[in-house]
Amino acid sequence: MGTEYYILIAGYILGFYMSWNIGANDVANSMASAVGAKAITIRQAIFIAGILNITGAVFIGSHVTNTIRKGIVSTDILADPHIALIGAFSALLAASLWISFATWKSLPVSTTHSIVGAMIGFGIMAGGFSVINFGKLGAVVLSWVISPVFSLIIAYLMFKLIVKTILSKVDSFALALKLSPFFIGITFFIVVLSFLCKTPLGKNLAIGTPAALVIAFIIAFFFGIAGRMLLSRFIKKSENGAEEIFKRIQIGTSCYVALAQGANDVANAIGPLALIYFLVKTGSVGDKVPVPVFLLLFGGIGIACGIGMAGHRVMDTVGKKITTLNNTRGFSVDFAAATTVLIASKMGLPVSTTHAAVGGVLGVGLARGLEAVNFRIIKKIMIYWILTVPAAAITSIIIFKILQLIL
Amino acid sequence: MRIPFMSMFIASPFDGLQEHAEKVKECAWAFQQAIECHISEKCKTFEEFRQDVITMESEADAIKRRIRGHLPKGTLMPVDKFQLFRYLREQDRVLDAVEDSLNWLSYRSEPGIPEGLQKEFFLLVDANIDPIEELSIMVLEARKYFKNFSEKQRTLVKDIIRNLRRQEHEADKVEAMIKAKILNMDIDPVTIFHMIRLAEIIGSIADHAENAGDMMRAMMAK
Repeated sequence: MGTEYYILIAGYILGFYMSWNIGANDVANSMASAVGAKAITIRQAIFIAGILNITGAVFIGSHVTNTIRKGIVSTDILADPHIALIGAFSALLAASLWISFATWKSLPVSTTHSIVGAMIGFGIMAGGFSVINFGKLGAVVLSWVISPVFSLIIAYLMFKLIVKTILSKVDSFALALKLSPFFIGITFFIVVLSFLCKTPLGKNLAIGTPAALVIAFIIAFFFGIAGRMLLSRFIKKSENGAEEIFKRIQIGTSCYVALAQGANDVANAIGPLALIYFLVKTGSVGDKVPVPVFLLLFGGIGIACGIGMAGHRVMDTVGKKITTLNNTRGFSVDFAAATTVLIASKMGLPVSTTHAAVGGVLGVGLARGLEAVNFRIIKKIMIYWILTVPAAAITSIIIFKILQLIL
Repeated sequence: MRIPFMSMFIASPFDGLQEHAEKVKECAWAFQQAIECHISEKCKTFEEFRQDVITMESEADAIKRRIRGHLPKGTLMPVDKFQLFRYLREQDRVLDAVEDSLNWLSYRSEPGIPEGLQKEFFLLVDANIDPIEELSIMVLEARKYFKNFSEKQRTLVKDIIRNLRRQEHEADKVEAMIKAKILNMDIDPVTIFHMIRLAEIIGSIADHAENAGDMMRAMMAK
């Protein structure tokens, strides 16, 4: 067994550690609104997040993983497998170190930014600035700015829509029930579409975009009607009826969030690992080959393990702190964040789920839906965002230099 | 743990507002007891009630400071921050007026409120207690409105505000009646001055409650 295999094993360990960390920390951010709004219990949140993170990772996770694997650093320079291998490993190690440090110090650092920063550092070391794929990197960085804003706008509009059409009306319960198929349907529409469009699953079933749209619409319509029937059977009319209805709908959107998160975040853990895997197995980046499903599954399971082992404590803290969030607000936040992240995942853009959730909360806050939200967190997030990328890059470079001496 | 999500949610100022309104309500009870005690000759606990009110007033002040001091720049709320502060100021002035009236009464305990005015002062106190009790209900209901933005709830709060205005008007009428009566009594001028001021201070309680209601109305404007 050569050095490569040791690196591969170490890569697996680090990849698992990264995904575990995503599960332990980032999941709380996305499930927090549902737990805080008491739509689901912590136990349910852990269950939902675990299963659906794996699903999202396996079925939709390949786009973003490919971006991390071969999108940021130009594949031409990876001709020397030895250097590429060391580089990919340093990137993974650097990102892991950064995430550990951030978790220890409670800094609002995104795993996405760490991994992208680390990959940049590796690229610079392996072939200088010219090997960085600036077009793709620019798109990635732009998505970091756009995703929270996009999420903010969706949450704002969604909440305003709920207020206008349901809450402000006299018989809000009846209206909430009447409009529930729309809110359920729109969620299903996007989810089904994301499964069918441009995924291996869609390709296997030979479904084109127009057909996918039709199928998604039919499924959404069906689930919307079915959901309404269930709601009208199980929820009795009460003063707070509209919130009760959204409480049930929010169970669905929590699943949505978990799915989107799995699709996007799995890449942070196994993007570099996939690179190492291909270098060891084939001696190249595997430019034409998709990420093997078992790697995506591996990352998904890592996230699920993190959720299962540490999610409880984090969500307990969050749930206790966020008590002013109720179900219509929680729904708006969840829907906005998940939609943003899922669309980004389909475009192969690694965005931060956390930032999308933060954008969603601010959107509802701007719509005057929350009693008190601190806007200034944005500043802090932006500072750490700008710091993380170069810091992870430099760490990656240092580790690369050290490893080059040893190996 | 790194959860930026969590640090976005800060303590709601409405919790404090409600707590403050409850304090004002508690004071109203002690205030009523104190005045009744002062008028009835046998009672010796006026001073105790006055001290109670003073303690509660300083507690309410602490709540007020806590609300003002814990709203960082860039806090998003359903209402404008300065409208909230102005509301709070009016609500606090209700309490100040309660405290002032008891203090004013204590400066000259003998001969106290003349017999011919006792019934009128009971009337005045009652007329000013009503709006205080309405205040805490208003905060509670307004908070509900900011949660569900329902038109029905909005009407409910607006009714309470209208009620406050009406009660203030009633209190004004009683105050005017008392003042007219005092000025036409054949008593020593110092007592007249003491009583006129007392009626004015007690009368201002309802004024501040009405102002608080108006501020609430401004916060609810669409």
